Amino acid sequence: MQYINNIRQYGLLIVFGIICLLISLITPQFLTVSNLTIIVTQVSINALLAFGVTFVIITGGIDLSLGSIVAVTGVTSAMLAHPDSNPVLIPIVMGLLAGLLMGVFNGFIITKSKIAPFIVTLGTMTIGRGLALILSDGRPVSNLSDSFNYLGSGTIFGIPILILIFILVFALCSIILSKTILGRYIYAIGGNEQAARASGINIDRVKLSVYSISGLLAGLAGILLASRITTGQPNAGAGFELDAIAAVVIGGTSTAGGRGTMSGTLIGVLLIGVINNGLDLLNVTSYYQQVVMGIIIIGAVIIDSLNQKSNS
Amino acid sequence: MKYSYLILITLITLFAGCNQSTNNEKSKANKIIIGVSMLSMQNEFIVNISDEMQKKAEELGAELIIVDAERSPLKQIEQIESFIAQKVDVIILNPSEYEACSPAVNKALAANIPIVNVNSATKIAPTAFVGSNDLESGRIAMKFIADQLGGKGNVVMIQGLNGQAAQIQREQGAKEILKEYPGLKLIAQQTAEWDRSKSMDLMQNWIQSYGTKINAVFAHNDEMGLGAVKALQDAGMKDKVVVVSIDAIADALQAVKKGDLDATVFQDAKKQGAGAIETAVKIAQGQKVEKELMIPFQLVTKATITEYLK
Repeated sequence: MQYINNIRQYGLLIVFGIICLLISLITPQFLTVSNLTIIVTQVSINALLAFGVTFVIITGGIDLSLGSIVAVTGVTSAMLAHPDSNPVLIPIVMGLLAGLLMGVFNGFIITKSKIAPFIVTLGTMTIGRGLALILSDGRPVSNLSDSFNYLGSGTIFGIPILILIFILVFALCSIILSKTILGRYIYAIGGNEQAARASGINIDRVKLSVYSISGLLAGLAGILLASRITTGQPNAGAGFELDAIAAVVIGGTSTAGGRGTMSGTLIGVLLIGVINNGLDLLNVTSYYQQVVMGIIIIGAVIIDSLNQKSNS
Repeated sequence: MKYSYLILITLITLFAGCNQSTNNEKSKANKIIIGVSMLSMQNEFIVNISDEMQKKAEELGAELIIVDAERSPLKQIEQIESFIAQKVDVIILNPSEYEACSPAVNKALAANIPIVNVNSATKIAPTAFVGSNDLESGRIAMKFIADQLGGKGNVVMIQGLNGQAAQIQREQGAKEILKEYPGLKLIAQQTAEWDRSKSMDLMQNWIQSYGTKINAVFAHNDEMGLGAVKALQDAGMKDKVVVVSIDAIADALQAVKKGDLDATVFQDAKKQGAGAIETAVKIAQGQKVEKELMIPFQLVTKATITEYLK
């Protein structure tokens, strides 16, 4: 199991290296500290969503509500973050809480109703978008305090806060997935739910946890996005879930469940960021960017299925 | 089985009852009923137009049925069809697309229901049009850049969603001015889909590839203009780069006041909304109206900002 994942990841890493090399040969601006910092900052929000949804996808589920959770939490935190209204901790805590609640709601409905996660989260996606519009009255929430805005644009020891959060969340998620009992249960459920149930795993509790984690991280992403663009936008985050799922799939996580790693998702996220940045530096129109991205997603899944066959 | 018949009969009587009462009300009050299909109620500017429409309708005693097309031309056509079925007196259409919404206009005209386009155009001419010429906004914005740079320098353009009338015309208007100033060079243009965070990412990437070569930024809307301003500020370059965008939303006006955004172009949502209702009511009353009511754009800079901050 571990062995298969290793082969795949090296393959992905090599592809990633070749793409970086190609771009840096064409544009000298690519391999500079400032550009690399920008790439990592730009992908950090997608990364948080992708890490969260990796857990969900390994259990064989899906979460389509991520983008809407980003909007709800962004608007919620922005409304509480006007200058001289609250200490900066309040919008952060309330934003996280809003995200967590939506995740718990997803998990609760999925486990209690036994409706497919695709349908349930499609529903919460629409509900969330509506809530964000209701809360904000359809208008961007602006005039946020400097301390709140500092989250998305500030630095600690010269490193952007966004990047620090990105690294921290990655470390935490990797540990949860590979070193804890919860992680083992997540793989077990995705591999064979019946067998997992027979072996006494509390499936509902594990599923509730993964959707909660996914919601919580989407909440964090929403707060950081609002801070980065200094407004809570009710229509922010539309389509973010698909970018996150694309990163997870490129990173080798099987959408059928049971297989995948956090480091794979990390490379998937960075690969998308590098390609977008590289094509912008080359002033390639966004039409081509979309085509390239689609080819990469399909290519990654083809390589994955070939690998699977040769190993079985 | 018995029960289902019972329910069916009850429902039918209920419906019949409803129909009668609405018919009665209509004939009693003899109110003008206007069906309104708006491009997207998730867009602040469009919401402003719709708010003003409601105010004006109340003032003139007309009844509005406002629906949200959520940016989908298909949905918009269906909404117009249902307005036709409801036999409204006039339809106001805020089209989401130049070509794709034309069938909606055709259908209304074929059903003999007058249709007024507000804010954007369709290929098929409606009964009347109320809005602004987006070519003009692009011209005003690029002219401002030309004046600020003394007719010489490098410009980047952040575009709206490619293919929309506003994007096409703003680009075209800007390029007309660029032709008049051979010293002004457009070194890059790219879409950021009207979105602030996408525009910020794009600007960051451009700062990497062009750096201090960039002298001015023209963004097709304020959201994207503000995203570019944020990226330039983070890179410590804002003082040296002129940024202008279009729409004059509240955020942008604040930014102009603070001096972060150099200028925005004011598109008068209030006059467009009120103008559309006035035109629609006049048509319903059988009065003559102008085929095109053009509301002019205005440049908003730090010098003129106080007029717009109310």
